Amino acid sequence: MTNELLILFFIVGIVMVAGGMIISHIIAPTSVNAVKEETYECGIPTKGTSKIQFKVGYYLFAILFLIFDVETIFMVPWAVVMRELGLIAFIEILIFLFIVILGLLYAYKKKALVWE
Amino acid sequence: MIQLHEIYEVIPLVLIAFAACAILVIEAFSKKGSSAVYGFSIITVTGAIAASFLSLNKELIIFNQFLRISNASVMFSVIILAGILITIIASKNYIEKENINFGEYYSLILFSVLGMMLMVFANDLLIIFIGLELMSVCFYVLAGFLRLRQKSNESALKYFLLGAFITGFILYGIALIYGISGTTNLAELYNQKKLFTNYVFIIGFALFLIGFLFKIGVFPFHMWIPDVYDGAPTTLSGMFSTAGKIAAVGTILPIILALNITNFKLIFSVAAVATMMYGNVIALAQSNMKRLLAYSSIASAGYIFVGVAAMNEFALKGIAYYLIAYTFMQLGAFIIVSILEKKDDGSRDYKNVDIDFYKGLGKRNPLMATFMTIFLFSLAGIPPFAGFWGKYYLFYAAIQANLIWLSVIGILLSLIGVYYYLKITVYMWFHESTDLVTAGYEKEPVSRSGIFATSLAVVGTVVLGLDPNMFFRIFKMIAE
Repeated sequence: MTNELLILFFIVGIVMVAGGMIISHIIAPTSVNAVKEETYECGIPTKGTSKIQFKVGYYLFAILFLIFDVETIFMVPWAVVMRELGLIAFIEILIFLFIVILGLLYAYKKKALVWE
Repeated sequence: MIQLHEIYEVIPLVLIAFAACAILVIEAFSKKGSSAVYGFSIITVTGAIAASFLSLNKELIIFNQFLRISNASVMFSVIILAGILITIIASKNYIEKENINFGEYYSLILFSVLGMMLMVFANDLLIIFIGLELMSVCFYVLAGFLRLRQKSNESALKYFLLGAFITGFILYGIALIYGISGTTNLAELYNQKKLFTNYVFIIGFALFLIGFLFKIGVFPFHMWIPDVYDGAPTTLSGMFSTAGKIAAVGTILPIILALNITNFKLIFSVAAVATMMYGNVIALAQSNMKRLLAYSSIASAGYIFVGVAAMNEFALKGIAYYLIAYTFMQLGAFIIVSILEKKDDGSRDYKNVDIDFYKGLGKRNPLMATFMTIFLFSLAGIPPFAGFWGKYYLFYAAIQANLIWLSVIGILLSLIGVYYYLKITVYMWFHESTDLVTAGYEKEPVSRSGIFATSLAVVGTVVLGLDPNMFFRIFKMIAE
């Protein structure tokens, strides 16, 4: 029984992917013009080379933002069911926050928050 | 529901996790070049080893059935921690020499240990996955820790790309296993009957297995090992080849034994033969010591898989013994290479890792040459040392499982290995130093921490070799 399901699974998988591509290739209207060939179809034309050096500070800020973004994702589900889970969950979330704060402390001491 | 008292059962894990976070902060607040972090990480790992013994002789499933404490898992975690302890002790001098003395080094090592221990304690496929990723991500960063050296970067990138690709295999495998069995819990999985009559499950399990074969470095998935071990900082190459492999073996072996998949026996046997053959034969032609040891670690993965193919009660015993012996000898050999390596002079390559450098080492540095000889003899499987008993137990397990052809081939192939291990020994004691070496050679005193780390490995190799049953007495396994 499951083997037939497996074959079906593969067939459906292939049809879903390949079918979508083929159908869109057939029915989609096509128009070719000079503007469409540009890198940024809807923006100002680029000047100079695109291989410029970024300030590494952007990268650090992005990573720090990500950490606190993820922290929120963990905090909200806990807050919703806080009463049912009780004390242990509270201690766990404190440990979690403690680890995040250690990370912030580390970033602070390493001067990752200073914008030079 | 999680009980607070369950924390007591996982003190080693908590210690390591806490220390890994704390090291970052301690490092940020301490002066540059201080060794506070070094001491702290040694104390933590020692404490974790001691605390592991508290969990001996228990059979518990804790934390919502996510972790399982058993003698086998405690044993694997102690072996891993022993390897890590030796690595950390030897590291201080090395990272100062290479100008990479950052506290993050120790923190990353401890985070990777946390991952390894989660893997061996896991009772759930998801915990295994989390542990594996924690270990692997730290390994990718550590492989590229010598940021200014091209080879190190190359090694990190290769390891990362291949490792990330293999992660997909493992996840897809877990998904298929869950799809068929309806659970990711290992204990529930073991209780289900007739899983192996289902092709989807076999595909899922095979994908899951492939991920671990990659981490262990078994034949068709071994390509990354020489390049990564060659390029990574030398102490860490030693760690990857011991602790990293042990974690993977320690995770997959109980699963293989519990599921009792006898129809995979032939596959494992063929993989073992191919791995031993590949590792031993290619190692013959190596002129770089780190690559030679990398191929020797592939060959060792082959010996371990002789035991895996046997799949009986002797196999677990033999593999466990081989792993602890392998930790001491392989790590010891890598650490000696790291000690003898030349100080960083801004070059793109590692200096003094050619095997020609080892010519006449017996005269230049008798202590390190003696230690290296012990490790190489042990790796070759010469009797008084632990490596001999490791191979003995593995081949014994294969004979008990009626795989006599496998043990015969294994013994013949390990004889090839004797050649290249003894070649280095002959170079060290019976050859004169080459002009190239003597010309640029300045006698560098070997640091005390280096001597201490290698002595620990020597003591392990010799003591386990003289009294092989001691190890089993400690972990209360079947003693002969």
